[in-house]
Amino acid sequence: MSDVLISASGLTRYYESGELKVAALDGVDLLIERGAYVVLAGRSGSGKTTLLNMLGGLDRPDSGSLVIAGQNLLTMSSAGRARFRLCHLGFVFQAYNLIRVLSARENVAYVLQLQGVKKKQRFQLADQWLARVGLQGFENRRPDQMSGGQQQRVAVARALATEPDLVLADEPTANLDSHTGESLMDLMRKLNEERCTTFVIASHDPAVIASARTLITMQDGKIAPVETL
Amino acid sequence: MLSLAWRNVVRNARRSLITVSAVALGLASLIFLWGFNDGVHNTMMRNLQQVIVGSIQVHANGFFHHPQLVKTVPDSGLVIRLLKANGIKNFSYRLRTFALAAGEDSSEGLVLLGMNPDMEKKATRIAAKVDHGRFIHDNDEAACVLGKTTARNLGVSIGDDVVFLTEDRYGALAAEKLTLVGIISSGEMGIDRGLAIIPLGFLQQMTAMGGRHSEIVVQLPPERLEPVTAVLRAKLGKSYEVLRWYDMYPMMKQWVELENAFYYIFLSIVLVIVAAGIMNTALMSMLERMHEFGVMMALGCGRLRLAAMVVTESLLLGLAGIMAGTVAGLALVYYFHGAGIDLSSQMDSVARFYLNPVIHTEIDNTHLLDTVMAVLAASVAASIWPAIRAARLEPVEAIHHA
Repeated sequence: MSDVLISASGLTRYYESGELKVAALDGVDLLIERGAYVVLAGRSGSGKTTLLNMLGGLDRPDSGSLVIAGQNLLTMSSAGRARFRLCHLGFVFQAYNLIRVLSARENVAYVLQLQGVKKKQRFQLADQWLARVGLQGFENRRPDQMSGGQQQRVAVARALATEPDLVLADEPTANLDSHTGESLMDLMRKLNEERCTTFVIASHDPAVIASARTLITMQDGKIAPVETL
Repeated sequence: MLSLAWRNVVRNARRSLITVSAVALGLASLIFLWGFNDGVHNTMMRNLQQVIVGSIQVHANGFFHHPQLVKTVPDSGLVIRLLKANGIKNFSYRLRTFALAAGEDSSEGLVLLGMNPDMEKKATRIAAKVDHGRFIHDNDEAACVLGKTTARNLGVSIGDDVVFLTEDRYGALAAEKLTLVGIISSGEMGIDRGLAIIPLGFLQQMTAMGGRHSEIVVQLPPERLEPVTAVLRAKLGKSYEVLRWYDMYPMMKQWVELENAFYYIFLSIVLVIVAAGIMNTALMSMLERMHEFGVMMALGCGRLRLAAMVVTESLLLGLAGIMAGTVAGLALVYYFHGAGIDLSSQMDSVARFYLNPVIHTEIDNTHLLDTVMAVLAASVAASIWPAIRAARLEPVEAIHHA
């Protein structure tokens, strides 16, 4: 019997633009198993990021249901969703989004700090994760002292440091050159294989799409049939 | 969180420095103004006590409001034993009555105050206020000291005779001719006019009041005023009245309190300015970092924690300003405590208020603490609105904020 991590049904989200009501998500049904490596593909405006925001508990649908890791996100309070994100989710953003005033080690350790991990232990864990993503020796560098690829690796380390059930990545390679992007995808896929962490990656980068084990294509807020490669 | 908040404060070092400087300048000004204010007030209160009134006076009950020659301290010996038992050495006996003084040209009604010159030097500085001539120096000599205005009104100068006419304890008229040996020019109307000081022994003999005293004047450091008053009141009972200087001259204390109230109003105006400066910085800093706040919320940072970080940043700005402002303000107070601020050009008007021509700044711990705590509170209060705004952010909107 398969182990379902994400179960979404009839997810709908409208945005209002003046008098116009646009469906960013239009009745999306989705089942994703634990340990999956999913790429959400589709053009800009197809609803990838909106779906990712729903899965991350950052946005709420107008209707539908969403259960992740056995918890109903739609009945949670704002504080509950924050706790859920902290304990179950990791994020990798297009623009890296590291905290500018913190070093690579501190950026990774920040989420552990939010979880209440003691300083010495969280710095040890942060160093281990930085080494794991190939950034040994970069622990004390600030984001502005690192390349885009290095920053995104720090972001991956940060996303995985809390050992989440699910990592959500929004256009992770969009700001990277193709070589660095490929290298990052290799890393994420390797981490998925080794740790069985579920990855859901929104991208329209062909290289990212090519790396998918499960490809979900979105168009006009709807999902095309799931394709397992 | 403290480390992150501190780094956020220094990330825009110039803006933070301007805010810290504004807080420091405001606080240093307030501390200096308090220093001047407290210097003036404490000088006035010290002078009032040290020139003639003393910190405490012990009388027979009801004497202060209805003074009579025969209403004397029931047992001076008991009072002195109590004072000595409490380690108090600076006190003096006095005898007080009313008299008519006659000089070359005219006569004038006045208070006749008998003082023991040796004891009085321990209790007050009235001897130092003698401007011409000398203070009485023998407890039994037939000499008197007059205020400048009284001497002028009577038309007498040093070496002249002054005749005093009063009643003795039996109601019989008593008259004596004394030599004017000193003239006091204190600037204070209550001393310069309507007061004659003569030796205690002489007055006791003149009024048949040997061994009796109207008042015992005690000089104390400010911190001992209340406890010693309480002890004396408890031990002496109802046949005595133990009055603090401000029980006898409440106007002075009320005036000081009124002026302090004005300073507190001024303090609150400066606080509003300080708070506005900090709030401006906190709000700008918060608006600039909306994207980062969104990311932090996405990572699992709760709204309260985010708000606490904004408050901590303001608190750090406030604390830095407080440290700098306190050092600068106290340095000014310390400098002018030594150098003084010369008000001699205003002396004619200030002398009436027991002021010295040069004001030496000093600051009461209560005022310093109140001011520092108020600036600290303003720093926190200034961050509340930015903190609420940060806490109300929606992660998705914040992340997409440019």
